[in-house]
Parts: sequence; C-alpha cells; structure tokens
Amino acid sequence: MNTIVQIAFRNLLQHRRRSLLLGGAVAMVTLLLVMLSALLNGMQATMLRNGTTLSTGHVNVAGFYKITAGTAAPLVTKYEALLQAVKKQTPGLDYVVTRGRGFGKIVSEESSLNSVLTGLDIVHEAGFKEVVQLAHGNLDELARPRTALIFEKQAERLHVKVGDNVTVSSQTFRGVNNTVDVRIVAIGRDLGMLSSFNCFVHHDAIRDLYELDSSTTGAIQVYLKDAEKAAEVAAKLRTDIEKTGLRVMEPQPQPFWRKFDTVKREDWTGQKIDVTTWIDEMAFMRYTLNTLSALIFVLVTVLLVIIVIGVMNTLWMAIRERTREIGALRAIGMQRGRVLWMFVTEVALLALAATATGSLLATGLCLGLNAAKIVVPKAFQMFLMSETLWLVADVPTVARSLAIIAVVTTLGSLLPAWRASRLQPVKAMQTAS
Amino acid sequence: MTTAFAQTETPIVKLVGVDKDYHLGSVIVPALRDVSLSIAAGEFTVIAGPSGSGKTTLLNLIGCVDVATRGDVVIDGADTRQLKEKALTDLRLRSLGFIFQSFNLVGVLDAFDNVEFPLLLQGKLNKVERRDRVMGLLQQVGIEQYAHHRPGELSGGQRQRVAIARALVTQPRIVLADEPTANLDSKTGTAILELMQELNRRGTTFLFSTHDPRVVSRAGRVIRLVDGQIADLNASAEDVAALAAGAH
Repeated sequence: MNTIVQIAFRNLLQHRRRSLLLGGAVAMVTLLLVMLSALLNGMQATMLRNGTTLSTGHVNVAGFYKITAGTAAPLVTKYEALLQAVKKQTPGLDYVVTRGRGFGKIVSEESSLNSVLTGLDIVHEAGFKEVVQLAHGNLDELARPRTALIFEKQAERLHVKVGDNVTVSSQTFRGVNNTVDVRIVAIGRDLGMLSSFNCFVHHDAIRDLYELDSSTTGAIQVYLKDAEKAAEVAAKLRTDIEKTGLRVMEPQPQPFWRKFDTVKREDWTGQKIDVTTWIDEMAFMRYTLNTLSALIFVLVTVLLVIIVIGVMNTLWMAIRERTREIGALRAIGMQRGRVLWMFVTEVALLALAATATGSLLATGLCLGLNAAKIVVPKAFQMFLMSETLWLVADVPTVARSLAIIAVVTTLGSLLPAWRASRLQPVKAMQTAS
Repeated sequence: MTTAFAQTETPIVKLVGVDKDYHLGSVIVPALRDVSLSIAAGEFTVIAGPSGSGKTTLLNLIGCVDVATRGDVVIDGADTRQLKEKALTDLRLRSLGFIFQSFNLVGVLDAFDNVEFPLLLQGKLNKVERRDRVMGLLQQVGIEQYAHHRPGELSGGQRQRVAIARALVTQPRIVLADEPTANLDSKTGTAILELMQELNRRGTTFLFSTHDPRVVSRAGRVIRLVDGQIADLNASAEDVAALAAGAH
C-alpha cells in the first residue's frame, strides 16, 4: 500500500540522524561482507587459475602402477592410447597436456630442499606461460632436456641463479636411489602455497630420474572450456575408460599424493587409473578457503547480531514515540497486520538504501584496490596465491551480500513491529496522554 | 439548549448492564457500574459528568477500542462481545468515526492524505472517487486550501477540522468525539460545534464526551454520569444548566 510506504519513508526522513546512524552501520556491515566475499572470490579465482595450471587439470586421468602389492607409483603406462581416447571422449574439451609426477630432493652446492617434481613439455603448455611470471630466465628454455624452473623463495633457499646446475635425487619405483642433474633456466615469481613446494622440470628429466620409458607419464591433465563441468566429465570418463578394459579406482575426493598409503595397502598389482577433478586435487587448499569462509561467517554473524539489536532498539524508540499514532490508527480501523507492515516497511526501506550504498561503496573500493595492484606481505601471499591483492566483487556476490543483510535487518524489525501491532488502541492512546 | 436532533428511534448504540473494571496491580478500580442506555440514529448526544466519572471509558466501549468487563455492548446491530479483534477493527472502520481531543493526525501525512487514509484502509473507492470525497469534505470543513499542508503547519482549529473530515470520510453511522473542543479557543470551538451540528442535521449521529458547557448547551440529549453510573439518561434543562455552571 502506497500510503504505508509513504508514511515509512517520511518517518525515516523526519528522523534523519537516527536513520543515518542505523543506515550507516548497516552500510558498513554490507561493505565488509562484500569486501570479504570479494577477497574469498579472488582467492578462489586465483586458485582455480593458478592451481589448475600448475598442479592439476580440470580433470585428471592419472593413477597408480604397483610392481608389487606393497608399492605404489603415480604412473600411467602406455598412456598414448588413453590420451587419444580422452581427447575423443571428453565433452567441452579445451586442451590436454601430460605431466610427470614425482617427489625428490633438490640439492645445490650450498643447500637442499624437498619438492614435488612435475615434468612438463613446455611447448604444449599454453596456460602455464600465462600464469607463471618470470623473475629471471627464459621459459622457452624449459623445452631443452635436463632443465628446470624453480621459484624465487626456492632459489633463495638453494642460493642458486639462472644457469646454475642442481641435482635432483629420488628413489626409483623399484627402490633404487637415482639422481639427475638439471640446469636452472628460469626462476618464477612466487605464487603462494603452490610455488613453495613445486618445481618444474623437463618431462624427460622425470623419466630419467625414475628410469621410465617414453610411453609412461604421470598424469593426463584435461582442460575444459567450462571448469564447472569437471565432476560431470570425470564421471563420464571414468565409465568410458572402464569400458576399454582398464581398471579404474573408486572416486575419492583427495589429491593423488594423499592416496599413496591407501593404495600401498591394497592387494593388487599392475595399473589402475584414477580420474579426479581439480576440486579433489586441491582439497587441501579448499580447506583454507573453507576456514576463511567460516571466519567471515562468524564475523558477519556477530556484526549482524549487533545490527539486529540496533534495529530493534531504534524501532522500540520509534514505537514509543508513535504510540499515540498507533492507537489512533488502530482506532480508525487499521488492522494489526497493517501496523506490523508499516514498521517492517520502514526498516526494509532503510535496509535497502543502506545495503545498496554499502554494496556500491564496496564495489568501488574493490575496483580501486585491484587497480592499485597492492603488493601483500609474503605471509599473505602464501594464502592469497598471488603477489597482489585481488578482489572479485561480481554481481552474484554483491547481490547475495545485499540480500542477506537487507533480509536479516528487516527480520530484526519483526518482533518490535509485532509488539506494536498488538498494542490495544485504548492503552496506546492512554499511554500517550 | 437546542432541540433534539433525533431522526429515528432505531437504537444504533445499545448498552445493557455494562461494567468496566481497571486493574491497578492487585486493586480493582470500577470505572463503570451497571450502565444501560440506548442511542438512536441521528442523535446529537452528550455524555456529561465531572472528571473521573467514566465518560471517556464509556466512549471507548462504544467505540470498540476497549471491552466491557460485564454486560452487552451492541453497536450498529453487532454484539461486540461476540466479535474477534479483526471484526471489531472492521466495525470501527465501517461504522464509526473518531474525533480525539488531541487530534491524533499522522504527522508525516498532509491533510489530504490523513483524510484519505481510512478510505485506503477500506479499499472500496478508486482514486478519483477518493479524491472527490476527500476534497468535498475538506471543503465542507473549510480547509480545502490547506489540503497539502502537514498537521505541523496547521493551527489547532484547522487540525481539528482535518480530524473531523477524517472521522466523516467513510460516512460512518456514528461519530464519537472525546472532548473535541478542549484544545481549541472559544471562537474555533464554536465554529467546530456549528460544523458538527450541520453534519448532524444531514443525518450523522454524534456522541460527545465532554464537560464543555458550549457543547452541552447544543446537545439534543445529555446523559449524565456520576461515579461511573448513569445519573440521568436525559438530563433536564436545569440539570444541564447546573452542570454547565459547575463546569464553568
């Protein structure tokens, strides 16, 4: 009813200071929620972009090879046929790469460190070149055999620079210690958690280290045009691969390196294929995001409780001031429901205006901060997976934040509004007089 | 005293054996005792009595904004004891008009909107019909030029005229006025009373609670209340004059 909206709007205007204070608080909480959600989105986007390029595909066709029951090697043997099948049967395919997988010690003249070893063919890795920003060296050099790319922090620990040789040492899957020497051809800028324990070498260096032939790889990484369809595609590939006669592992939402112990305990030998999604492989990073989400949830809940208390107090005050008006309106025939609606509308209007303002400010602030390319401290880079602050305040995030705060704030008005609607007309008028 | 304005003998208000008690903690304070009365449609009736005699309580019961402790209150044919809150509110909207001592207009709405409000609650008329009805009434009470002024921009007399227009806009069968002239100066009070009398001549029933001799002197009938009981259902000219003199 227009008049009720009019009364609500004019009452808000009449009590400008009160409306501004409460509206300001609601706008600030909205701003905070949008900013924190944008930070979380930024991390997620970076994780999807960096993580799916550096350590996993959107879908991975990998697996384990067991020479004896008690061993487990992250290998796919005779992968060419499987690669062709994957290329043929993957809906919405963008591109496919193969990666070698291993773990070993990188030893320089002065120091050493343990690292996940990833073997790649740089000529096929278009996405990799976009994500990895070089501090020194040339990424194309990684096309040469026995070459490696490490990251700044690793270079610092190993006291090496581009052109230096390091030794990579590991145990082959037959239990023999082996080493290969590789030349550092590029040093990439740190990319947070992912770059702290990853080192990239020419694919053949991995094969040499583990004494594998060229028909063996670590994983076939599948990149889709729509990463959201990863689970659907993984399920399809699992069925399709099973039909070719290969053994396929039961899906487990874990990265491959957490499956070693389980696989070792299993009583089978030979090859089994494991189809995973990027969400499975990055479960450990999602834990970070979930923890941050939980913290944001707690923070925003506390702030919302404060806002709701503020709304209730303000409304109690307004109702006390307007008791006579409520009594008179009830006396002239206004039903209880409309009295309730009148006060709820007042808070809803304030909440909408305040959340819209907060959302606009937050969006502007996010755009400004992104444009400023603020470099975050190293400790935060680890979690942000990026050197600079990256905030993604997209329409769904802003709309969701706006809706949550507006609805909760409006719900906060229900109890006082309900109490106002239950006032007996005669008592309301007597109280005022 | 002027002549009675009763048009018919049909009772529009009927109270039988009505008691009203107020509870102040554990103490019960009787406000009305065994009140029985009938008011016919078209009357211009005053409930008179000293302060604390129960005038406002009686008016509240008739106006369905309060409920009797005992007894029957029948308004426009409806036994109010049988009605639920929603139906009582509807009865107030449909059959009753209220004029309050302190006007009780909605401060953020202008005169036009205040008068239009009960029509919006009723939801029966379209926009054009509502505008015509409201403007006609504002003209009738002589403040059509202040239609778009808010109550804060109007004098006491003008506000009371807006309140009268609001009370009449739904064309109620009975208008209840609680001390309508108490906050008005003598000249404005007289003008307001003349306006009400004019409206009464056109068929609207008026019931006042007052001890203002200007109102009492114009009443068609005076019901005298003393200590919560009916002292006289149709007070004589002498009683009324005495009452008026007493009030002075």
